[in-house]
Amino acid sequence: MNLFENIRLALEGLRANKMRALLTMLGIIIGIASVMAISTLGSAMTGSVTKTMDKIGGKNIMVSLSPKNYDTQSTLQEDDLITQEELDAFRNTYSDQIKAISFSTGMGSGQLNSGFIHKDVSITGASPDYGLVNNVNLVQGRFISNRDMDGNRNVIIIDTTLRNNLVGVDGDVIGKEVQVDTKSTNETYTVIGVYEKMVIDNPLFYMGDDTRVECFIPITTAKSLNPDTANTVGYESFTIMATSNTDSAAFAQTTKDYFIKGMSPLSDFTIEAQSLEAIASEATGMLGTLSLGISVIAGISLLVGGIGVMNIMLVSVTERTKEIGIRKALGARNSAIRSQFIIEAMIICLIGGIIGVGLGSVLGITGSTLMKFPSTPPIGPMIIALCFSMAIGVFFGFYPANKAAKLDPIDALRYE
Amino acid sequence: MRKKIIEMRGIVKTYYQGTPNELEILHGIDLDVYEGEFLSIVGASGSGKSTLMNILGALDRPTKGHYYLDHLPMENVKDDGLSQIRNKKIGFVFQTFNLIPRSTALKNVALPMLYGGVPRSERSRRAADLLQLVEMSGRSHHRPNELSGGQKQRVAIARAMANDPAIILADEPTGALDSHTGRLVMDIFHRLHQEQGKTIILITHNAELAEETERTIRLRDGSIVDNRRNNQYQLGGYYESV
Repeated sequence: MNLFENIRLALEGLRANKMRALLTMLGIIIGIASVMAISTLGSAMTGSVTKTMDKIGGKNIMVSLSPKNYDTQSTLQEDDLITQEELDAFRNTYSDQIKAISFSTGMGSGQLNSGFIHKDVSITGASPDYGLVNNVNLVQGRFISNRDMDGNRNVIIIDTTLRNNLVGVDGDVIGKEVQVDTKSTNETYTVIGVYEKMVIDNPLFYMGDDTRVECFIPITTAKSLNPDTANTVGYESFTIMATSNTDSAAFAQTTKDYFIKGMSPLSDFTIEAQSLEAIASEATGMLGTLSLGISVIAGISLLVGGIGVMNIMLVSVTERTKEIGIRKALGARNSAIRSQFIIEAMIICLIGGIIGVGLGSVLGITGSTLMKFPSTPPIGPMIIALCFSMAIGVFFGFYPANKAAKLDPIDALRYE
Repeated sequence: MRKKIIEMRGIVKTYYQGTPNELEILHGIDLDVYEGEFLSIVGASGSGKSTLMNILGALDRPTKGHYYLDHLPMENVKDDGLSQIRNKKIGFVFQTFNLIPRSTALKNVALPMLYGGVPRSERSRRAADLLQLVEMSGRSHHRPNELSGGQKQRVAIARAMANDPAIILADEPTGALDSHTGRLVMDIFHRLHQEQGKTIILITHNAELAEETERTIRLRDGSIVDNRRNNQYQLGGYYESV
């Protein structure tokens, strides 16, 4: 007797008890659906984390001076700062792992004025590599150059919304002079570039709604305008962009060790270097723990579902004792009876699994869409879930099926 | 000389063997059945009819003695072999019909062929032929609960014929039927016997029905007490009288 005949027999058996079969499937459906929903959601979240990391620079390592002891008030000394010479030496040592190094310094918020237009802006002093390292998407003009840096020039890069406000949509704003007031400065800048603001629609990276426009000026200009930093020559923080084949977490450690060696042991400050990748993997690791927890619950649900299947199969065997007797009298071998019942259990679980996979995928996709993670139905977990549900059928169907197979034909025929 | 299809020598069946309740049901049965014979086995309740029929039908094994079915020594046959023998060599007809309730008449008839590995299309074709033989063609897609007792028994006879068995074992086939439908069922057996030369063993406690068969074996308390040819056959045959 072949597999198709067995499947046909099993389907006949199930059709006779549709409601019961459906209720039996419920445990499997719930178990598989929750596993599927979690894995769909999980992979959507992980995928979006990876995508966002690529967008904001997953290979970036943020290096900064930080106080050794946060309890005491520490002030940065001139010789704590990392000088351009030290950086150049570092860059030469690890030239194959460093793609770019950028510096930036916040100048706080201010107001940009041009004619009758007044806009709140925040000003960031940036180095030429800042644009590359932070994926600044220039749509007009250019970014800060070395000559801008050397000359402490008053040049500024604005974003597209500001450009649209100043000269209309897609208007030419390059060369226009704008005036910026901050707490301590009042300067006139020439617009040299326009960038498009990066949109990060990932709730895991939500950083608050900043409606202010960020404008970039050369970091040297920014430093010279700040009386505290006007005469210093070093940096207290910078960002390294590692090459794509570099393990950024390991390189962060290397960087840290390198700069700590160069620092005075008496300094109140130390170096912190952290890769964005490491931060992201912490986030995805947390997600993993969460989905593991839910998977355990789903596993328990599957176990309960499997026991339900076993229970209903035992009932079915008892109910159909006479039928089993008839089949045996007509020449069914024990193995034929056994496979009939195992396949019946497998089909219950498989149908439950299919419904569960469908339901779980819909739930997972709906959930991730609601949370704004782009998601696709994960094919791998689907196949695993279906195979697993069939395995549950075999495992929990075996005992009842074996019981049926071992029935004595005479006793079974006599059963009423 | 006709071929011996069943040969039983010293068949003993004991239940609860080795316990204080040990019970010997059959005390050494010797029985020969020839190919094409229509035989009846009669006896009161508790005479051992059912036990004998179970052994004849390869549903059970004797405790002692030898049983050759179609010259095959049954004591050497394993369980799967017994299944195969039931499938190919024996056609059962039961008192309570024993059709599978949720299968149609056609599928019930095809069932032994399914277990015998007959391809699907041939199963349906042959099942339809067999239903025609018992004049049930019109109801082949009905389920047993849509059939009358006599119709069910006709389907059951068609099913017994499915794999063209060496013998048909009919256990009180008219026991659950009124006398008119019982008559119709008996006529089918006679037809199978006459037209197809089937070997039929009828187990009954109805002496009248037993009289219709060629030979009657009478069981009492687990032993054969009578084994004789019936009158009509000595006189020239029942068939000439109908």
